[in-house]
Parts: sequence; structure tokens; C-alpha cells
Amino acid sequence: MSKLYYDHLIVLDEVEAVIKRTAKTQEEKEELWKVVDETLHHRVMGKVLDKLPREHHEEFLDKFHASPHDENLLTYLQEKIGENVEELIRQEIGNLAYELLQDLKKKK
Amino acid sequence: MSGRLPTQTYHEIDEERIDFEYLRNKLKLKQLEAKKSLSEKYPHVEKFFLEKGIELGKIREHSANVLGAGALTGALLLSPPMGAKSLPPPHEIIEKIKIAQAAQITPPQEILVATLTDHLPEKTRPLSRDEEKYLERVFNEIMGVPARATLEGEHLNTTYGIIGAEQHLRRYPGDTIGSHKPYLKEGMAPGLGAWGYFAKSKTELTFDLEEKEKWYAVVQTLYLPDWSRRQPHLKNWYKYRKVMIVNSKNGNAIIAAISDSGPAAWTGKHFGGSPEVMEYLGGPKYKKGPVIVFFVDDPENKVPLGPVEYNKVSLAGIPIERI
Repeated sequence: MSKLYYDHLIVLDEVEAVIKRTAKTQEEKEELWKVVDETLHHRVMGKVLDKLPREHHEEFLDKFHASPHDENLLTYLQEKIGENVEELIRQEIGNLAYELLQDLKKKK
Repeated sequence: MSGRLPTQTYHEIDEERIDFEYLRNKLKLKQLEAKKSLSEKYPHVEKFFLEKGIELGKIREHSANVLGAGALTGALLLSPPMGAKSLPPPHEIIEKIKIAQAAQITPPQEILVATLTDHLPEKTRPLSRDEEKYLERVFNEIMGVPARATLEGEHLNTTYGIIGAEQHLRRYPGDTIGSHKPYLKEGMAPGLGAWGYFAKSKTELTFDLEEKEKWYAVVQTLYLPDWSRRQPHLKNWYKYRKVMIVNSKNGNAIIAAISDSGPAAWTGKHFGGSPEVMEYLGGPKYKKGPVIVFFVDDPENKVPLGPVEYNKVSLAGIPIERI
């Protein structure tokens, strides 16, 4: 299986709908899914590190590398950051969704 | 279109019918932007992943490897999985069913729901081998379906996850939504299923193929750790493979044929079901919910696709007329 500690916070239904309506083959669909997925990981990591004090970066990266699926990472981040981490990640994913959809609307 | 929410801005995008190349370029641009921004701001992160020999963008593959290795060595089982509950021996459940049936008190479906509620974690997650074995036994005894979490060495990434509603699939070139009655409002998927058309033409569409589209399931074959490496074997193995889908909230169960790959991991869903499958699992408004998905061990093709009406099925040791 494949799971990331923030999977349950991801809501990108509208982006998914656009991909489904645009991709004509399974290969096209999967390619776009992967591009969105990769973007997401960079954005979430960036947001987390923005908030996490620098002295904890290496420790967090080690933990993430060892167990990327472990939801206890959220507890760890919560302790070190002192803010609602789930909400921070949710917001960042929401921002990404908004930006993507705005970009696509700028076509004409 | 009626029923749109103000937040559903993608309808505006759809009306312009963007093409694949355009969408891919836009998404790629965003991806490069995100990658560049992270690497400029936090060069030590890039260095960290480089030293580990993985890419952050491919972290799902790494996660699959970590979890796969953990399952093999049993490391993940040293501590109980999150939400693990103690499992009573299956024979206790079967005994309960027999007693309830003999006294004509509780239908098997109710007992199954109570069992699942008592022994499955509230939040979906991959089940341990013990949990899966337990469910195999319970399903076999209660429903009479030879369901397996692992079949011929193959196993899905997860067997307990969230199913989401899918659209109809085009069965042959020129297929239209009108021929998928009575479930028309779900519409037709713009693309084809992972295995293309079910038949080359309308005249070649057999009853069997019609049933496969009607009762189809979607599973995340694309995220199987060995999917790319074991082609074309895996693609052939999964094509129309029978699965039993059990709604863990109400016990409704259905046999479906795998006919598409997905959904994307970032949708929060793990499986998909045709309009007919979803209707049977949860009713007309059911769009998403927790299910258990096991393969059906049916080498002689004796288990029909469609609903498993196990309240009418003979339980082990109980004459059918008493059920």
C-alpha cells in the first residue's frame, strides 16, 4: 500500500473532475494524477517547513523518511509548531486547488 | 446544469473544453514552480532526499516500499495497527448466527454489520493479515462467497478503504448514456476504462460483457508497487477480476468486475463503483463510504456478478428454508 500522513487532509475534487473530463485515455489520466500528486508533496513540505523551527528540520525529515505514512507525524509537528497543523496543511492544499483552477480559467 | 454549488468552479472550465496538452502544461508548470520554490528556500531538503536516493515527488512509491517491507518482516505488527480491536474466533460469530437463525431473531446481515462494527477500526486503513483472514472466514460462512484478500499471490494496496461513485463506462464505440438505463444522471465517463472498450461493436456486446460494465469496480492498480515491473501479467490478471465489495456500515455486498484503474491517491478514495454498484451498496444518494474489497476465488466462474443477497443464502449447517 501507499499512504502519506496527510492523505486524509487532501480535498481536490474539483481538480479531479477537470482531469477526468479532459483525459481521454487511462495513461493520460494517470500522468496528470501523478503531476498533481508531486506538486502536492512539494507544497505540503514547503508549508510544514515554513512553520517548523529550523533546528527541527532534520529530525522531521528523518521521521518522515522512516515512516511517511505515520499520522503521528502530525502530533510531532503539532508539538513543535504549536499551531493546528492539520488546518495549515488543509489550507495549503486548498490554496493549491484554487491556484490550479484559476490558472485553468485564464485560458481565454 | 442544475444542482451546481457556487464553489464548483470547474464547470466553467469544462464549458471551455480545455484539451489535454493545455492541462498537462499548466499542471507541469505548477509542479516545476513548487519544486523550484522548495529547493531554493530549503536546499537542505533536496540534499536530504538526494542522499537517501529518493525524490520527494515520488514519496508515495517510497511509502509503498516502507510499508511493504514492514509487512514482510512483521515489523508493523509488533505494535497493533491504529484502531486495532481484538478479534473473537470466527466460530463464535458463526455460532451466534446459527443460534439467532434457529430462533428466527436476527437476520445474518444484521449480525455481519454488528461484527464489522465491533471489530473493524472506525477509520479505514490497510487490515492486518489476521484481520483479513478473519473476515474471509466470516464472509464465507455468512454469505457463502469464497472471498480472499490475497489471491494467487496478488493483494490490493488496501482491502478496507473508501469507495466513490463513478460514471458509466463506454462499452463499445458509439455507446450512449441512453442505453444505460435507469441510471442516467451519473452520466458517461469521457474516457474509456483502463482496459478500453468492453466490445469492438454493439453487436459483439454479450450479456456477460454488459454485466461487467453494469457491475464494475475501480481499484488502484496504478499504485501497486510492482505494477510497472510485472507487465503485462498484472494488467491481464486484474482485467475483469471479480471482487466482493462489502459496505461495512450496512452489510450490503456485491460482486463486481474490475474494469478501471483509480481513483487518484489524493482524492482520499481507494475504490470506485459503477452507478449500479453504488446504488446497491448504499442507495440513490450514496456517493462515498467505507467498504471492504476482497477478490473472489472463482476459477470455474460460478459466482455471478451483482448483489449478494445472503439473507437468502444457506449458511453452513443451516437448511435454506430456515433462513
